[in-house]
Amino acid sequence: MRLTINGVPRDVPAGDHETLLAVIRERLQLTGTKEGCARGECGACTVLIDGRAAYSCLTLAAGCADSAVTTIEGLGRADALHPLQQAFIEQDALQCGFCTPGQLLAAAALIARTPRPSEDDVRVALSGNLCRCGTYPKLVRAVMQAAEMMRAEP
Amino acid sequence: MSAKRFVTTQVEVEGRVETKIVEMPSRSPEPWGDDADLHVVGLRAQRMDALEKVTGQARYTADVQLAGMLHAVVLRSPIARGQVTEIDFTAALALAGVSDVLTLGDVPGIRRDGVQLFDQRIHYAGQPLAAICAESADVAHRALGLVRMTYESEAPVSTPAQALATDAPKVKPNGNTPRNMPKVSKRGDVHAGLAAADVTITREYRTPVALHTAMEPHGAVAEWVGEQVTVYESTQGIFNTRADLAAEFKLPLSHVRVIKNYMGGGFGAKNGASTAAAIAVALSRKLERPVRCIWDREGEQLDAGNRPATIQRVTLGAKRDGTLTAIQLDATIPLGIGGWQGGPGKFYHEMYACENVETRETFVYMNTSAMSSFRAPGHTEGAFGLECALDALAHELHMDPLALRVHNHAARDQVQDRPYSLKRLRECYAQGAEQFGWEAHRASCAKQSSSSRLRRGVGVASQIWSAGGGPPAYATVRINPDGTIEVLTGAQDLGTGARTVFAQVAAETLGAKLGDCRTVLGDTERLPFASNSWGSITTASVAPAVRVAAEEARERLFEAASGMLGVEPDQLESRDSLITVLGEEKSLTFAQVGRKLGDVMIIGQGSRGPNPEKTAISAFAAQFAEVEVDVDTGRVRVLRIVSAHDSGRILNPTLAESQLEGGIIQGVGYALFEERVLDERLGLPMNPTSHDYKVPTIGDVPVIEAFFVAGSDVVANHVGVKGVAEPPIIPTAPAIANAVRCALGVECLEIPLTPWRVLGALQSS
Repeated sequence: MRLTINGVPRDVPAGDHETLLAVIRERLQLTGTKEGCARGECGACTVLIDGRAAYSCLTLAAGCADSAVTTIEGLGRADALHPLQQAFIEQDALQCGFCTPGQLLAAAALIARTPRPSEDDVRVALSGNLCRCGTYPKLVRAVMQAAEMMRAEP
Repeated sequence: MSAKRFVTTQVEVEGRVETKIVEMPSRSPEPWGDDADLHVVGLRAQRMDALEKVTGQARYTADVQLAGMLHAVVLRSPIARGQVTEIDFTAALALAGVSDVLTLGDVPGIRRDGVQLFDQRIHYAGQPLAAICAESADVAHRALGLVRMTYESEAPVSTPAQALATDAPKVKPNGNTPRNMPKVSKRGDVHAGLAAADVTITREYRTPVALHTAMEPHGAVAEWVGEQVTVYESTQGIFNTRADLAAEFKLPLSHVRVIKNYMGGGFGAKNGASTAAAIAVALSRKLERPVRCIWDREGEQLDAGNRPATIQRVTLGAKRDGTLTAIQLDATIPLGIGGWQGGPGKFYHEMYACENVETRETFVYMNTSAMSSFRAPGHTEGAFGLECALDALAHELHMDPLALRVHNHAARDQVQDRPYSLKRLRECYAQGAEQFGWEAHRASCAKQSSSSRLRRGVGVASQIWSAGGGPPAYATVRINPDGTIEVLTGAQDLGTGARTVFAQVAAETLGAKLGDCRTVLGDTERLPFASNSWGSITTASVAPAVRVAAEEARERLFEAASGMLGVEPDQLESRDSLITVLGEEKSLTFAQVGRKLGDVMIIGQGSRGPNPEKTAISAFAAQFAEVEVDVDTGRVRVLRIVSAHDSGRILNPTLAESQLEGGIIQGVGYALFEERVLDERLGLPMNPTSHDYKVPTIGDVPVIEAFFVAGSDVVANHVGVKGVAEPPIIPTAPAIANAVRCALGVECLEIPLTPWRVLGALQSS
């Protein structure tokens, strides 16, 4: 099947039953997307499909043929960070880091549709992304800071 | 006569006091007191591995992909007790891509929590019975569905009452309790203390089985090359894991290499070689290919440890003025099939001044999965019982619960009759109460209408946790020719920030730029020993070793630079990686010295010295909670938590506050939502998923104001640090329960405080 991941079209020899998560991680070796439960409960596998946050563990890869998929590897680069990544670092909005890619992509989807989110908007948008280290207060601050940084950008 | 090189010292880890041999460090630096002139230590420096984590480049165990790697999945028992009669792998092995199965005969002598791996006798639901290995995880999972198994089911032992009944089936060959139960610990005469009391109260408290629910499940990747095996494992202790695997597979320690760069949380459940690691190592040896074995979420919730439930029968006696005359606990702790005896009793002995204390703990075996340590094991459970009982006592005495706690402040460690290195709990009470507005909130709660649907309440609880760390722990500091610095130690960073704070200590000691320092962790083959990251001991154990290593390195660097500058080493000082001559203009950067030295490497070695003799080293905190309870629905909302902590010197306040917030949030989950629900007839956990086992989400978090009561603990160690990780979770559940009592005027004796429990308490009042 042909998938467009982070702007790059790729032909992947995957079965029709395979999830987007399995294809991303196992076949394309993009391991930034994490598997925490594989049943749509924890949010660690969150990616963007056409700009919307989705659990890749509940998404069939075959259904994404006509879509643009963004994983954490496509959000920003180490030398050109996305404002969200910058804000997560500055606010220390991560501890073990395992849920972080999913949190970042859920937040990116929020800011794309709501450039001026309230703190409650952030809580709703990230409510499907568990963080067992309990970094939640700093996640709210980081997303608010990133939204402000992005509004200030020309 | 030279001083002894090897001495003994006491180290306390999660309530267990051990005597350790320690090699004296090469030097004992002057402790960094409160007035020490520090520039890098104490900075709110950015987490060093944040960039890797926000870009997805941080590689966790399941992200390791090796050429030719196979994937293993585990067949688990669907019943809690019985006997496997037959497992038929024919159809599974016939599936294209399936490599092999691993069964009992492949893993002789490998045990977990006293149970032989793949035992065909079933001891608990979710017990591993075999593993299937395939070219992909997808194929392995499909093969699992093709396994046909028959078994004979027996009625399980699912409750402590069943286990302790005279005609109970035996959970373990020797019976349903460990030897010498109950475990009795006492000082003074509790009966005399109760007789001398003006007021006594008795309560029975219950706490649930809580599941660690780390975001990253247990798992390992193993690869044999020749006679040696490399194991990537999500573990809190690379050296413990190495020792476990070497013993189990009869290998020399030098032939087992354990690597762990990043891990997605542990919280106490990942303290040695996991079952997954044993399976991966055994399969990799058998099939001569790398093998990955990662628990799925259900496996993680079923079979990766838990905080055991407790039943705590508490009696307190006190004089009219609040002076405690007796503390008595009779507790039952169902361990499951195994685990260690980390009970609630120790908290009762430590927290308050009282001459007469007696605790009886009966640990019980049942047909459920084994317990394991979970963030402040024993103390988190014990604090719920004692801190709630203390509130009931305050109510009985018509005393402010905070005043009762301050009145019974323990000036010394009564367990071993010794002083504390430093105890700032009184300051925690005072500063916490001030920040929270304790008096005003109490007054306003007392005035609220008893007919309103939403009721506010406030509560307080205290905590104590042995957090002194200790030897052995080693570190190496290397200065490269370009002036960059590597801090090498075999410790772990579980998300705590250990990497960052070790670099801060090295930079401070060397007078180097923090940005030039990098900490390397997590590889048994390349790094010197540091112990498990458990019991809040990592920083207090390893940071002093890093400091000694950096002092050695600085001494060598200054000797090299002094020749280049034509002065004596003691005329030099350094700051921001620049070495200057005192009172002169002459200077050299670390890089300039390094370039002149070429490949002559500056290396410093450091170790952790002994703990001070006859001294208790503990972290303390006072925590205040405000709740709102809906008396129609029973729903409890936590509005605000204020937590004041004494953990000695704080090396990086931002990272330490992150840990405090995280611990408090886990405490909110323990207080309100988290509970493994067991079908007691079948012995089956009913909620082994992250949906049905309710950990807090971002919407459940109150306003949290967590801070440190500043102060270096120079008696504890020369860096002045104590542990941070576990203290914040300990007082949260009782502070919340006490706030609920304040709101309703009714005590809730069991957590989690689900709506039906709150409504039940209201109705029974």
